[in-house]
Amino acid sequence: MIATSIAGEARPSGPRRLLRHLLFSEYLVLYLSLAYFLAVLPFVPQMASAEVMRNILSDMLPLLVVAIGQTFVLIVAGIDLSVTSIIAMASVVGASVMTGDGGYLADSALAVPGAMIAMVLVGLAIGAFNGFCVNRLGMPPFIVTLTTMMFFSGAAIWFTTFHTETSSIANLPHGFVVLGQGNLGGVPHALWVVAAVGIAAHLVLARSVLGRRLYACGQNRRAAAVSGVPVGRVIAAAFLISGACAAVASILYTGRLQTGTPILGQTILLDIIGAVVIGGTSLFGGKGKVLWTVFGVLFLVLIDTSLKMLGLSLFSVFAIKGCVILLAAVIDAVRTRYAARF
Amino acid sequence: MKLTRRQFTIGTLIAAGTAGMPVFAKAQGKKTIAVLFDGLYSPFWVAGLDALKQDLTKRGYEMVQAISDKDDNRQFEQVRAMLARKVDGIIIVQTDSNAVIPAIKAANDAKVPMVHFNRPPAKTDAFSVAVVADNRKITNATVEHMVKVAREQGGKYKAAILIGNLGDPNAIGRRDGFFDVVDKNKDIIDVVARIPTEWNADVAFAGLTNAFQANPDINFLFTSSDFLFPQIVQVMKTRNKFHQIGQKDHVIFGGFDGDATAYELLKDKYLDADGVQDLFKEAELAVNAIVDLQGGKTVERVLLDPGFAIHQANMAEVRDRMWGYSIYKQKNG
Repeated sequence: MIATSIAGEARPSGPRRLLRHLLFSEYLVLYLSLAYFLAVLPFVPQMASAEVMRNILSDMLPLLVVAIGQTFVLIVAGIDLSVTSIIAMASVVGASVMTGDGGYLADSALAVPGAMIAMVLVGLAIGAFNGFCVNRLGMPPFIVTLTTMMFFSGAAIWFTTFHTETSSIANLPHGFVVLGQGNLGGVPHALWVVAAVGIAAHLVLARSVLGRRLYACGQNRRAAAVSGVPVGRVIAAAFLISGACAAVASILYTGRLQTGTPILGQTILLDIIGAVVIGGTSLFGGKGKVLWTVFGVLFLVLIDTSLKMLGLSLFSVFAIKGCVILLAAVIDAVRTRYAARF
Repeated sequence: MKLTRRQFTIGTLIAAGTAGMPVFAKAQGKKTIAVLFDGLYSPFWVAGLDALKQDLTKRGYEMVQAISDKDDNRQFEQVRAMLARKVDGIIIVQTDSNAVIPAIKAANDAKVPMVHFNRPPAKTDAFSVAVVADNRKITNATVEHMVKVAREQGGKYKAAILIGNLGDPNAIGRRDGFFDVVDKNKDIIDVVARIPTEWNADVAFAGLTNAFQANPDINFLFTSSDFLFPQIVQVMKTRNKFHQIGQKDHVIFGGFDGDATAYELLKDKYLDADGVQDLFKEAELAVNAIVDLQGGKTVERVLLDPGFAIHQANMAEVRDRMWGYSIYKQKNG
């Protein structure tokens, strides 16, 4: 009896082997995305068209940048809720610099680069503030970033009122708009920006000392400190990177809408965190990869796109999206449980 | 029978494609109009969506809907998704008049007509049609009736206005319509409170509470939208200001939209006047514009709903044109 059981476990059947391979593969979310794509294809045949594929790619890009930044923070067992307010604040600050309607650098050759630098500086400044509060003041990241989110969401609206009579800042230069909207041979310009950010982030996490320190801080902060890792500076760096990534996302979103708006990105926080976590990055730190985040973002954007094309009511969209994400989370939980067993 | 992995994959793809054929074929038979709203935050928008649905169904169109939840980027993505779905027209309620411009350009590129329902876009070279209520004129008529009541009662009045989100041209029209009239009647009306609401009921509640604390003698009140009535009534009751017409301490009270609550308040003699957007006419104008544009006809960029003011004197005659009265009738038989 015992011998049979051992023999059974040593040589699992074909389908079980395939299931185990799928379940434990780091490409699981990619497989789920493919499965979802095939499942919705009968209901939305246009999903397979080149136009929708291009839409999916361009919808993924800004969300992916901000999610990559969030990955860094989650790896050190933190969370950055302020990314949406960074997107909004950077959007209106950048627009106020370059708008043709009385911008600080209106009609100047420096308008676009000046605005982009200002936007990244906003991201870095808020990220640095978050890092300082978490690192120096020992405040929980949840509370720090929640309050910065609230403050800068309000500040963005307040800032806008000084620059326009309406609720958004328009008339942005063509050179900026083309970054968010333009494409060359169907390949969006934004792809090059996001690819550069993604590759740099991957190299930092996988190939640099900072990357190893980030994982060490996320796994066991005390052990990392004992091992000589400058924990405070590493955590601050994670928030700084998250802020910068949110600012880059803001550049892409603002260019795409041709408008600096103080409510930009206000409703995407759950998509950002959801995409990173669905990808496989742990909320408890120490585990995460840029590639996983790419898969998580792809999965969420696929769901969103299919539901948009189905034209379902708002309530159905929320319910279906919730169910699909829950299913992905359940599969992840099952995977973790089996991983612990084997 | 053994099945190789390749056979399985090909079989699955063929099955998926075959299953999709009926859906695809069905989509070919009927013209489809996308109706994209930014939210269903007040009865006006719920009734608007309903009116459009009824009109489109009556004309044999299929309607697909999407709500962006006040997210400009999501709405842009929704427009592109609908264009990829090859819809025959788009009726949209945008959150921001500037941020909708890329969506109009995308629709122009795809040669799909776009009509803005009740909210015009900012100035742009891109072509679209906007169906809007003549907010300023309707507000003029509403506030003129309130002033008439004030003059008949005699005395001096301290006025308050709840102003909407000034990113929305409708809010600007209503604000300007109010001041057009009160500025001509400064001898009896002094505006002591301009309360920004951002179209947010909580903000309106807090703002009006503060206004009554600072000016307990406010006796002339206009709200830029009827959906704020529950909060306003709550504040007025708390301050002992909610009295029927003819009673001592009645606050001369006016609103804008024409919803079911407005009708009830008029009927119960708490509300003096209400500006009514002719929702059914607006839905008809929007669908007509889509049909005309599809047919290659020329359509004006702005189609005006003249609307009207309903008040105690004309209620019985005009209430059938008030969309809120239709809802009230449905609810109460």
